[in-house]
Amino acid sequence: MSITYLEAIREAQAKALRDDPSVFIYGQDIATFGGAFKATKNLARDFPGRVLDSPISEDAMVGMAVGAAISGMRPIVEMQFADFSSIGFNQIVNQAATHFWRTGVPCPLVIRLPSGGTSGGGPFHSQSMESLYAHYPGLIVLTPATVGDAYSMLLDAVALDDPVIFCEHKFLYYHLKADSLPTDRLPIGKARIARGGRHATVVTCSAMLHESLRAADDLLHDGWEIEVVDLRSVKPLDTDTILASVARTGRLLAVAESFPWGGVSAEVVSRVVADGFHLLDAPPRRLNARDTPIPYHPNLWANHRPTAAAIATALRELLAF
Amino acid sequence: MRIPILMPQLGESIAEATIVRLEAAPGAVVQADQEIMEVETQKATMSVTIPCSGTIAELHCRIGDSYPVGATLGYLNVTAEEAARAGLEPVGPPPQDTAAHHADPPHPSEEPANLHFKLDQAAAIHEGGPREVQPTLSGLPVPANASGAGYISPRLRVRMQELGLNAADLSAVAGSGAGGRVTVEDFESFMTQLESHRMTPASPMRIAVADSMRRSWTRPLATVGIAVNLDPLLAHRRRQPEPRPGPALYAMRALALALAENTAAAGRLVGKRIVHPHAIDLGLAVEVPDGVLVPIVREVDRKSLSELVVHYNQLVVAARDRRLPPEARGLGIATITNYGTFGILWATPIPLPEQNLVLGLGAGAKQPVWDEPSRSFQPHTIAELTLSFDHRVLDGGGAGRLLHRVARLMEDPDQL
Repeated sequence: MSITYLEAIREAQAKALRDDPSVFIYGQDIATFGGAFKATKNLARDFPGRVLDSPISEDAMVGMAVGAAISGMRPIVEMQFADFSSIGFNQIVNQAATHFWRTGVPCPLVIRLPSGGTSGGGPFHSQSMESLYAHYPGLIVLTPATVGDAYSMLLDAVALDDPVIFCEHKFLYYHLKADSLPTDRLPIGKARIARGGRHATVVTCSAMLHESLRAADDLLHDGWEIEVVDLRSVKPLDTDTILASVARTGRLLAVAESFPWGGVSAEVVSRVVADGFHLLDAPPRRLNARDTPIPYHPNLWANHRPTAAAIATALRELLAF
Repeated sequence: MRIPILMPQLGESIAEATIVRLEAAPGAVVQADQEIMEVETQKATMSVTIPCSGTIAELHCRIGDSYPVGATLGYLNVTAEEAARAGLEPVGPPPQDTAAHHADPPHPSEEPANLHFKLDQAAAIHEGGPREVQPTLSGLPVPANASGAGYISPRLRVRMQELGLNAADLSAVAGSGAGGRVTVEDFESFMTQLESHRMTPASPMRIAVADSMRRSWTRPLATVGIAVNLDPLLAHRRRQPEPRPGPALYAMRALALALAENTAAAGRLVGKRIVHPHAIDLGLAVEVPDGVLVPIVREVDRKSLSELVVHYNQLVVAARDRRLPPEARGLGIATITNYGTFGILWATPIPLPEQNLVLGLGAGAKQPVWDEPSRSFQPHTIAELTLSFDHRVLDGGGAGRLLHRVARLMEDPDQL
């Protein structure tokens, strides 16, 4: 048996619906149609009345879900594309994120964001929003990079009493396969050493994990052993695991697919410099997408986001210091 | 065809130069290598020459103004053949009418509508990586990049602190990092390789001397030397009652009197100011087991030799016992070292880090010296005196005059 990243998300939602009667899914065209990416395929049939089509208003979707969550339900909201969640931004950051802190009533809500770039996606269907949401206190922001994490972290997200932004990467939907669903898992908030090494640390998440692992393969030909840290959760951010890795290697490259101004990679560098300055044998580096809107054309897109080749180049420069 | 007239590279550490004279005006017909202006740097005056024959189209530099190396000082009209012969790239046609050109609104296709496209280069900074730092218009083009042999990363610095190492300890390590920088890996393999040697702990005295010398060595130190006839001094000494002053005390007293005439020579340069000494307090280098102690004799210029000698001898004994009284510790303004007691003729000792001067006294030896009145060689006891100094504070001339004065005083010991 083989299961894709997308199927793992569907299986996790099926299990959540099966295990907890307070769970329901809400989103545009997710019921009969099965969602823009078929992440809810057949779920409306298997769980009648619990997989609901919403109006075409992200604002209304999140607002309704916040109301349901604070009334004891555990809604999963599917955005068609992460990019469109900006229309529900007010409900997410001002209502969902603050609710527990204002009232003491938890808001157990999961918002699934099909995130990141695919070839030809262009400026409105390619964005990585994790940095934006991680900025707000009260939100948990998850960025699963593996089939196993897509499954187990989504179940954890549903079980959490906090509002969770679940950034699932569209590029991984079909490309990433595993033999089976996971039987064990790391807790939320814990990063994973995806690959051990001793010459430099790459800290990354989501689809960039796989580009980074390919870059590490490439550098191994030259004898460089690159440690790759998969953040899994960008908020909370597992500073301890990052610092422990930099303590082993002395060099840091933070890679993210989001835009370069601020964000997760900047936060990683900032924390390492503040708390681990004495661990650094070279100035830490960041590699992000370029500071322009995301281009349509496949060739431009391939130059816009960090690729394995770009990561390998950045690593070679880091190692040459 | 127009080619620019550039401020040439004038020397390795020269970033800019000031125009002091213009020798040609716009419209002048000039030949290749003709000098058209004179420029002045901190070190020298040089000429700017024309790269190929032509006519000076314009000069937009002014006498008295400074321009960085590579700045365009004007333009030359040349024929294509001349330019090709000189291997020069032409530049675009001159603006027809400068004022009108600027008055015109920029053509839309020339001006990107989106600010971000203009900022493309600035945005590149976000992508990380070291960037060259351009020199400012004034001052030297010192690279501000954190790399090179002298750069110690935070991690390496902490690791060295942990092991009690200093930057000087890395001098034997060939770095594999950028610009020959010693990486942590280089450092660890160096330390591992040391493990195969026999190692003994250094004494606190050794460590203290090492620290002092290393700090002192950060300065540009130089030494001057002179021969001094010790015979008058030795004769004078024989006439003194016991205890008699030794040659080093004569030297100390001579240095004190010479410095009293000009204390600036013993000043220290801190930032942009000379720090003058309060008093002529001089140190004496005394060898002790595994190191050197420098007891201080206070106000040497105000005491006669006979007043000094008992105190001086006590200090030497106290230093050897490492029982210096409090007033003999602390900072002096210069030190006497009598390396002649080891049979050494001359040396280049290093001044203490808080001092500018160290006076060295070599071993005396009988030498034939030409004596003009008797037209014969006469035997004299000759010793070399050396004065090592911080070249930032003193030059060879200043140090030489000071040493000369010390030597003359030693040769006329009645003045001491």
